[in-house]
Amino acid sequence: MRLHEYEAADIFSAAGIPVPARAVAATPEEARKIAEDLGCPVVLKAQVLAGGRSLAGGVKVAASPVEVYALSGDLLRRDIEGFPVRRLLVSKRVTIKRELYVGITVDGYEGKPVALVSAEGGMSIERVAERCPEKIASLHVDVDRGLFPYEARGIFRKLGFSSQELLSAADILVRLYGVFQSYDALTAEINPLGVTPDASLIAVDTVLEVDDSALFRVRDHLPLDHERIENPLERKGKELGVTYVDLDGDIGIISSGAGLGMATMDIVARKGRPANFLETGGGITEELLYNTMDLVMMKPGIRGVFINIYGGINPIHEAAQGIVRYMKERHVRIPVVAKALGNRQEETWGILRGGGVHVVTDVATERAVDRLFELLGT
Amino acid sequence: MSGGGAMSILVDRHTRVLIQGITGRVGSIQTRWMIEYGTSIVAGVTPGKGGLTVEGVPVFDTVEEAVGETGAEASVFFVPSPFVKDAFYETVAAGIHLILVVPEHVPVHDVMAMRQHARLNGVIALGPTTPGIITPGEAKMGIMPASLFSSGQIGVISRSGTLSYEMAGILTEAGIGQSTVVGMGADPVVLTNLPDILERFEHDKESGAVVIVGEVGGIQEERAARFIAERMSKPVAAYIAGGIAPEGKRMGHAGAIIRGSTGTADSKRKALRDAGVEVLETPMAVVDWAREHGI
Repeated sequence: MRLHEYEAADIFSAAGIPVPARAVAATPEEARKIAEDLGCPVVLKAQVLAGGRSLAGGVKVAASPVEVYALSGDLLRRDIEGFPVRRLLVSKRVTIKRELYVGITVDGYEGKPVALVSAEGGMSIERVAERCPEKIASLHVDVDRGLFPYEARGIFRKLGFSSQELLSAADILVRLYGVFQSYDALTAEINPLGVTPDASLIAVDTVLEVDDSALFRVRDHLPLDHERIENPLERKGKELGVTYVDLDGDIGIISSGAGLGMATMDIVARKGRPANFLETGGGITEELLYNTMDLVMMKPGIRGVFINIYGGINPIHEAAQGIVRYMKERHVRIPVVAKALGNRQEETWGILRGGGVHVVTDVATERAVDRLFELLGT
Repeated sequence: MSGGGAMSILVDRHTRVLIQGITGRVGSIQTRWMIEYGTSIVAGVTPGKGGLTVEGVPVFDTVEEAVGETGAEASVFFVPSPFVKDAFYETVAAGIHLILVVPEHVPVHDVMAMRQHARLNGVIALGPTTPGIITPGEAKMGIMPASLFSSGQIGVISRSGTLSYEMAGILTEAGIGQSTVVGMGADPVVLTNLPDILERFEHDKESGAVVIVGEVGGIQEERAARFIAERMSKPVAAYIAGGIAPEGKRMGHAGAIIRGSTGTADSKRKALRDAGVEVLETPMAVVDWAREHGI
C-alpha cells in the first residue's frame, strides 16, 4: 500500500527527518487559510497516488493567498492519470541550492534491503542511473543488524560528501532506514532531499509504500481513513478479498490463482479482449464465488465469462455451487465457460452443468477459451 | 538431504515429513491427501495441541519434540502468515533441512530474515506462496492436485502454483511425465532463487529437460537466463504469464508487479531467448517442444 505524500511526510517528520512546514487542504478556502498561516510562497501538491504527478501539472507554486485560492480551485477540479484530486498538500516553499536522492527499497533477488543515494535528485532514480551512474552509490543492508551510522557515512563518502553535509545526510539515511524497518516498508524514499543555502537538508518530497502483508502489525500506526483505490470494481474486489484488475475488454475472467489468471488473460487477449484479471487466491467458498460472479458481471458490456479453477487447496465443488446459484438468481444469459480440475472435479462438473455452465474438461486453457469464443460466434 | 544431488533426492517416498499447522482446516485435509499419495508423514506440530492425532499422525507442541520422537527431516508449513517467521526459526533450530512455506501474505521483512537464516544454516527452503514439491510416483509435499501429475523426465519450476498444475496437466495428457515439479513461490523475495533450483535440475539424473513457468515482476527469469547461458547443458523452455498485465498493478501475487520497465514479460522473454531458451507462446506449446527434444 502506497501512502499519500502528506501521510509519509508526517511519518518521516515524526522520525526526526526535517520536512517543510505543511498542512492538508480539501477546499480552496482551506488552502488559502493554510497559506496565510505558513506565509507565502507555498507549494501546492495534488495528493494522488500517481507516478507522473509533477509532469502532469499536479504541483504549483503560489506567491500569494489569492493565487493559492485560484490555483487550488483549479487543481481540486482535476484528474491526474485517472485519479481525482481530493486533497492538496500545502507546503512552505523552501529555497534549495542542490537536490539529492535517498531511498531504501527491497532488492527482491538478493533478498535484502538496499539503500540508494545520489548526489543528483529531483528526477527518477532510474533516470539518474541511466544518465550519470557515477552519481549513485548503493549498499545492501543486513536485515538482522540494520543500517549502522558508519555504513551511512561510508556510502555518502563514496559520493564525495564531507563535513556537516556528510553527517546530516548520513543521519537522515539512518532515520529513513528506521522508518523502513518499523513500517515494514517496501520503499521509503526522499526525492528530492534538498540542500538549503545554509547547508541543512530538508525532505522536499516523500514516498512510503508499506507491505500489504504486514498491515496486521503496522495498521495501528497508519492513517487509513481514506479510500485508496479509485476504481470502484477494484475497490469492491479488495473488499471481497480477491485481486481484481480492471481491463478495457468484454470477456470476464475468474481464476483461482495468479499465474493461471495472468495466463488466462493473455490467452483470451489472443482472440478477444479481457474485461478484467480476477484471482481468488486459496480462500474459495460458495459465497465468495457468488460475489465474484457478481463483481465480474458489474462491468458494463460483458459478453461472456471464463472461469479457470484448480482444486488443490481450493474446494472447487463449493465454487461451483456459488457460480450456479448466481446464474439462477440473476438469470445470467451470456455464455459462461468453466474449466475446473483437481480434487472432486467430477462432482464439480455435475453441479456446473446442472446450472447451465459450459464445462470444458480439457486441461489446456487455450482449448477451453476457444470454446467460449465458439459460443460467442467469434 | 542437504546439499546438491538429484531433485528426486530432495523429496522421495522415504523422506520423513513433518506438517506444521496440521490441526488447521487446510493442514488436516492436505495431510490426508499427501498420505494417500504415498508421502511418509511422520509428525505434525501445532503449539498447544500436542498429544492429538490427525489422520493417524501424532501431533507435537514443538518441532524439537517432533524431530526427537519421529526423526522428521523435512517440513511443510500451513502456519498462519503472522506466525511463519517464528515457526521457521523453530524449525531450523530443530535441525530440519528442507522447509516448504505454503502460506501467502508472509511479510516481506520476515522473509528477508528467514532467507538469511536459512542460508547461514544450510537449510533449503521454498516459498512463501509455494504449492510445494512433487516427485510424481514418489511423494508430494504440498497442496497440488495429484491427478494432474505423472512420472517422467521433465523438470518443472514454477512461480505460480495453479499454472504449474496446468503445465503438468498438459504434459500428462500428452503422455509426457515430470521428474519433479517445484513451486518456487510468488513473493517479491523468495527463500531460494530460480538459478539455484535450475542448478539442482542440471545435476539431476532423472531430469532430461526443464520448463520454467514464470510471470511478470522482479528479475528472477532474467538472472536465470544468465545462469542458463553460462551453466546449463539441458534444454530449457519457459512460459511467462502476464504479457498484457498493466504497469504498477499487483497481479494477484505479491511479487507479480511491473515497476516502470522492470519485470515486464517482454524483458524476461528477450533475456531467456537470448540465452537459448525456447520461449513458449502458450502453455500448450510445451508438448511440441518436449517431443522435439525426444521426450
